[in-house]
Amino acid sequence: MEQKLTDSELIQNILAGETAQYALLVKRHQRFVFTLALRFSKNREDAEEIAQDCFVKAYKALATFKQTSKFSTWLYTITYTTAMTFLRKKRLNTDSIHDEETFLELENHTSGLNANDYEKQDSHAFLNQAIGQLMPDDAAIITLFYKGERSLEEIGETLHMEPNTIKVKLHRARQRLKEKLQYLLKDEVKELL
Amino acid sequence: MNTIEQQLWEYIDGTLDEATKKIVEEKIASDPEIKEQYEGLLKLNSVLETLELDEPSMSFTRNVMESIALEPAPVTLKTKVNTQIIYAIGGFFVLSLVAILTYVCLQAKISLTSFNLAKKMEFNLYQYFTPNTLYVFLFADLVIGLIFLDQFLRRKVHK
Repeated sequence: MEQKLTDSELIQNILAGETAQYALLVKRHQRFVFTLALRFSKNREDAEEIAQDCFVKAYKALATFKQTSKFSTWLYTITYTTAMTFLRKKRLNTDSIHDEETFLELENHTSGLNANDYEKQDSHAFLNQAIGQLMPDDAAIITLFYKGERSLEEIGETLHMEPNTIKVKLHRARQRLKEKLQYLLKDEVKELL
Repeated sequence: MNTIEQQLWEYIDGTLDEATKKIVEEKIASDPEIKEQYEGLLKLNSVLETLELDEPSMSFTRNVMESIALEPAPVTLKTKVNTQIIYAIGGFFVLSLVAILTYVCLQAKISLTSFNLAKKMEFNLYQYFTPNTLYVFLFADLVIGLIFLDQFLRRKVHK
């Protein structure tokens, strides 16, 4: 019965004192929040810490959520800002986030695998690997667009950018992803794509 | 940035207007290279649609709930401000003012018999118009003006 409640109804119940129902909201959104955090942190432990921190922040600020937008959009905005703060704390400022060299080490590591290793992996693994090599913003935009089923406006709201900027960034992100896949898969790319 | 590839992506996303959509469709139909490029992007798009979300650890929800257990429960701002308390405070002040006014009226001995307007008006008004008075007056005006401006801007932001 509780599972059928909408986000909005759950929030009303939580604000009315049924705080245990927050677990349902967490379960509903944890995979996406975790994946989004992973796009920024590039490691599971940090991503889990960011995701947890973001749910705690959302809980504390739940009374201020005006419900003018979707709860998920609001939550993803918190995830984005929490992840950025986390990265800054790790001395990776915004400039270095956009610096592709930051991820060169990771890229070199994965590119060391030979074609036989890749044959054992399915297309999802390749895709996740390629996304993992993208810059955080690019990876987040692709995730929000394809898995979050967000409109350009909603993604813009989440990432504090204009929808047109998101459109251009999405295009560039897909271009870069295609290049990463081509680099990773070499000849196999034709079979996958 | 309006390359053919971007147009193809926008065509796939369905964000093109009708006129541009027709132009792109014509390009795909007439140019084999563009058609091949379109099919490649279409495949990449279908792969991206199968993207899977990562799963956090099994104890994730429990960890979050344990963390928030230490936090005060969130409550709506409406319930935070109890209106009854506000009404009680307001009522107290209104009653106090009424009581004071009643007391003053009962105690005062109002008489108009010795009231002489001409006599009362015998004072030099100009002695009060000093530069200091003027500064105080202007300063008060400035403060009132700023208060009104602040209220006006706040209303605009809330809209």
